Amino acid sequence: MKKILAFVCALAMMTALFAGCGNNNNEQPSNSGNEGGGAGIAVENIKVGVIHIGDPATGSGYSYTHDQGIVAMQQNLGLSDDQIVRKNNIDDADATAIENAMNECIEEGCNIIFATSWGYMDTCEALAAEHPDVFFSHGTGYKSNGTNFNNYFGRIYQARFLSGIAAGLKTQTNKIGYVSAQGSENGECTSGIDAFAMGVASVNPDAVVEVKVTNSWYDPEGEGQAAQALIDDGCDVIAQHCDTNNPQIKARDNNVWGVGYNSDMTAEVGDAVLTSVVWNWGAYYTTAVQNVINGTWVPGTNVENYFGSLADGLLDITALSPEAAEGTQDAIAIAEAAINDGSFDVFTGTYTDAAGNTIGCDGVMECNDGTTLEVDGTNYAAITKYYKNVVVK
Amino acid sequence: MGTAKKEPLLRVVKHAELSTRQSIGLRVLAVVLALAVGGLFIALIGYNPFEIYATIVSGCFRSPMAIQATVKFCIPMCISALGVTLAFKMRFWNIGGEGQLIMGAVFASFFALFCSGMPHLLLLAVMFIAGFVGGGLWGLIPAACREKWGTNETLFTLMLNYIALYIVTFLRDGPWRDPEAAGFNKIARFAPKAMLDKVFGVHAGWIVMLILVVLVFLYLKKTKQGYEIGVVGESRDTARYAGINVRRVVLRTMFLSGGIAGIGGMVQATGSDITLSAGVAGGVGFTGIIIAWLAQLNPFVALIVSFAFSILVKGSSVVQSAYGLSTDCADILQGIILFFIMAMEFFIRYKLVFRGHREKLPVKTAADTDAASGEKEAEEK
Amino acid sequence: MAEQEYAIRCDKITKVFGSVVANDQIDLDVRYGEILALLGENGSGKTTLMNMISGIYHPDGGTIYVDGRAASIQSPLDAQNLGVGMIHQHFKLVNIFSAMENIELGTPGKKLPPKVLRRKVEDLCEKYGLETDPDKPIHAMSVSEKQTVEILKVLYRGARILILDEPTAVLTPQETDKLFAILRQMRKAGCAVIIITHKLNEVLSISDRVTILRKGKSYGTVNTAEVNVSKLTELMVGRAVTLEIDRPKPEDPEDILKLVDLTVRRKDGSVALDDVSFSIRTGEILGVAGVAGSGQKELCETIAGLIQPAQGAILYKKENLAGKTPRELIEMGISMSFVPEDRLGMGLVAGMGMTDNMLLKTYTQGKGPFVDRAPARAMAESLVEKLDIVTAGVEAPVRMMSGGNVQKVLLGREIESNPDLLITAYPVRGLDINSSYLVYDLLNEQKKKGVAVVYIGEDLDVLLQLCDRILVLCHGKVTGVVDAAAVSKEQIGLMMTGESAQEVMEYGNG
Repeated sequence: MKKILAFVCALAMMTALFAGCGNNNNEQPSNSGNEGGGAGIAVENIKVGVIHIGDPATGSGYSYTHDQGIVAMQQNLGLSDDQIVRKNNIDDADATAIENAMNECIEEGCNIIFATSWGYMDTCEALAAEHPDVFFSHGTGYKSNGTNFNNYFGRIYQARFLSGIAAGLKTQTNKIGYVSAQGSENGECTSGIDAFAMGVASVNPDAVVEVKVTNSWYDPEGEGQAAQALIDDGCDVIAQHCDTNNPQIKARDNNVWGVGYNSDMTAEVGDAVLTSVVWNWGAYYTTAVQNVINGTWVPGTNVENYFGSLADGLLDITALSPEAAEGTQDAIAIAEAAINDGSFDVFTGTYTDAAGNTIGCDGVMECNDGTTLEVDGTNYAAITKYYKNVVVK
Repeated sequence: MGTAKKEPLLRVVKHAELSTRQSIGLRVLAVVLALAVGGLFIALIGYNPFEIYATIVSGCFRSPMAIQATVKFCIPMCISALGVTLAFKMRFWNIGGEGQLIMGAVFASFFALFCSGMPHLLLLAVMFIAGFVGGGLWGLIPAACREKWGTNETLFTLMLNYIALYIVTFLRDGPWRDPEAAGFNKIARFAPKAMLDKVFGVHAGWIVMLILVVLVFLYLKKTKQGYEIGVVGESRDTARYAGINVRRVVLRTMFLSGGIAGIGGMVQATGSDITLSAGVAGGVGFTGIIIAWLAQLNPFVALIVSFAFSILVKGSSVVQSAYGLSTDCADILQGIILFFIMAMEFFIRYKLVFRGHREKLPVKTAADTDAASGEKEAEEK
Repeated sequence: MAEQEYAIRCDKITKVFGSVVANDQIDLDVRYGEILALLGENGSGKTTLMNMISGIYHPDGGTIYVDGRAASIQSPLDAQNLGVGMIHQHFKLVNIFSAMENIELGTPGKKLPPKVLRRKVEDLCEKYGLETDPDKPIHAMSVSEKQTVEILKVLYRGARILILDEPTAVLTPQETDKLFAILRQMRKAGCAVIIITHKLNEVLSISDRVTILRKGKSYGTVNTAEVNVSKLTELMVGRAVTLEIDRPKPEDPEDILKLVDLTVRRKDGSVALDDVSFSIRTGEILGVAGVAGSGQKELCETIAGLIQPAQGAILYKKENLAGKTPRELIEMGISMSFVPEDRLGMGLVAGMGMTDNMLLKTYTQGKGPFVDRAPARAMAESLVEKLDIVTAGVEAPVRMMSGGNVQKVLLGREIESNPDLLITAYPVRGLDINSSYLVYDLLNEQKKKGVAVVYIGEDLDVLLQLCDRILVLCHGKVTGVVDAAAVSKEQIGLMMTGESAQEVMEYGNG
């Protein structure tokens, strides 16, 4: 009898608790700056949430790169440490964990949440509807709602094209390896490979790009093995689109060269890395938060998607290694100038190189299966065929 | 005689069965000790333990949203604890709550993904039953194999967890892959119709949880089937002696046990995840075992223990972002607390006696009084 | 007396288990060349005390002196090094090994060549008058042969102080005599022997002195020559008791159950009951005698529906019960009660209280999914009153109760169902004298009511006094059904080893 009584009490208490919650369910703490319509939110009232798939403390890799961007944004805008809420190690296959992490950011009063991994997309969409006065900014995906949920990404293919020039000039065997996380069905990887291959072709029409797929975004062992297989096949430059620097280490250990990705891999591997294709997320994070402060973005009314470029500073290649072939710097400079003045965007437009050749497919790519494909960098996800000089291994 | 050894330094001695009050006291002591050692750990890595503990608690209750989140953590933990409670009462060591929960989610997800044309409430009811059946079948397999071939249920249920997990991965990468997800494999988010409604800001799973607590309690305490579970758990020979069909009881109970975990999976998938993901169980099936055990297989206590666990989980998540404390540190803290509570279970049954310590005799024991009265009788004659 | 003369002297030994004081400042001594009997009822602390001497437990208080010196015995190995060996009630032998291999197993040093080993074993046998075949595997041995191996094992390790825990419990009268002859031989050879027992006749016939334990305390040591059975009983129980068991004359016995050509196999395929035929009659107690493991357990369980017989029939009022499950028997309305040997492991649910245990066979009664506990509780409460059951309450787990009270709960429940047939397996095993007599009274009460009672027993004295007829089993075969009043203990003993009733009775008469 006592137990039943205790249970009834517990039930009553819980009901009371929930009832209490129900009344002010959607009330958000501390962001009242948008009443004036477009007035923005004062810098001191800004709070930024970041959802990381890993732990930035590891010092390299995906989450670290994104977090460097957050740190840069914080410095640029002069935010204090407690204006940044980081949720680390949020598994992007665990929908509940994602939702909990984002809700916690909202609880702590965040006005804008950066969700850095692809798997967070659906949860962003759902929570954006539930919390119309919070911005949800999702990296690398494709969904958005125009009012408080956008996506951000960049024309990384521009940097890849430039790195392809370095690889094409360096190769002696005319075989360049490329370790890719995903196969041709993945537009992000495929467009990157195509851009790289075009860069190679622009300076070395005889070279081929041999692609090996690991089917995983993070597979230290598999990435190394893939690189080794490519080297064994005669490749003397190894480029990559995957998380660890193992392909570069394999290249160095076999006395060949490489092209890194994500962060400057010369730091860990040395001069065998000719250059690295890098993201500079700080460029976007600063712009986005600035937009919220300025009132350029007003929750519930407007927010644009972001697709950054070389010119925006969102992406780049790192300084060339001393081991890069002679003339690389000049060849890259011509292409970079064309990209920056808008006349050339890898998949669209053309430019003239030092020898007077016209470079660029101008919207119609010749594929390695003999067909052609209409291409456009902004629609990278639809590019699921390889450029003519690509061989899948 | 070369064996003039000293008395051993430490001996393990069984104590008398402690009263309920004493054993509760010991458990409370364990929690206090755990907090103390956890505090020491926090201090060692350079934080103020009082601040951290305060943040854990305030993090759970600082706002309605925080409370809702805490309750949300509680739901799958409590439901899976209820599931294993049934099996454990029968002394069937069901370590497969995780897999049963996953299979419940898989079965329910089938209807969420492919039958979303049904009316909302009907769809929910169908998914609920599907979740129950899915988990139940996953619990039935090890039970049937044990009854038929005498397989080891602990290993069997454990292995089925991984199979269930890989079934989800297979469905995600293959037949149920969301075609819109370019390159990244995932299962599509459920249609709004297939979502569990929210009541007071938390998905209705909490109501399911409370109802299940009461049902499991009544089932075990008041029904004939519950009584049979108790008898089979104590001794299969006694059950046979009483004319109980042991095989039927084992199969039925494991179906129910898995079924309850399956309901947990359905609730988690349709209430919280709104999709089927590999992280749907996320270790909750294992936490449920610890909870059921700490609760001494009492459903109401399991509810309380689950809530305590969700405070720990939610609170340490807040601590992680508030202090930049790595999530690993929060796990270590949880581990310390669990370690102490489990170690205390040992001391509820045993004590250590040091060398040189002489047992003081109880002043008056049953044996004494009986013997004395026997003596008296003898004298009278 | 000088310390050296004692092989073992215990000084104020105390052992506590939880809140139970198993041994309370017990003094005991034994000399070389002497047999000491340790007498006490079940639960009086005899085995606990001996386990401390043989290194299984460590005392919480007091000192054990071996050969006059204080010894700290922390393991059976320590005890062995001190020359102490214990023969436990449950043998610790490897079934597939031969006697010789078991004897050598676990001794330090290199394995001896079989020839040398056999020689050594045979020497030992000769010295103490033991008989064994060193090459015979254990699984082919009878209980008494196994016991011999256990004794040899201890002697081989150089034990001069032997402790035997209830060694006669599993033996026939003839085997007991043989064992006692061996023990006397040991005494002659200068060994110190402690024999644990609760059988008074045996104490008188074998021991030089007796130490009596009661409820964990020592009630002194007496010279055997100076006491008799009633004096020993008084010391053991604490008051004088009459040892006679009532045997009312059966009234109009009528066959209620007929077993016809019943054969039962164990799980491993061996034959437990071999072509058994007999009948059970109303208003009488049928005793079943036999060496442990002769098929008694299977006999009970087959009748109760727990085991399916391989062939044969069990006829109950012309209906064949063979192969029916317990549930089916209940549904057929057959009023049969069974008090199994393993009370807490089969007859009762150890972790449940009396109320829930009352429900065991009746919980399915009543409609609906819920159990009605009220009648069970009332029944539990009335049993507590009727049978003087000592318990913390009807909801306290029965495993917390003493053995006698547990049996009262079980027997009480079975009798409450007003059976026509009551089967009891070793109903007084482990019970003190008072409880045992209560059980005999209860059985007689049932008999007078016209219930057919089957009593499986091990104490032949009790069987002879209590039962009307005695059925003797040997290796699953019935060697005879005899009138209890017209048979002697020795005759039953012979039948237990396989001789037919006819042979035995002729021999007895001739």
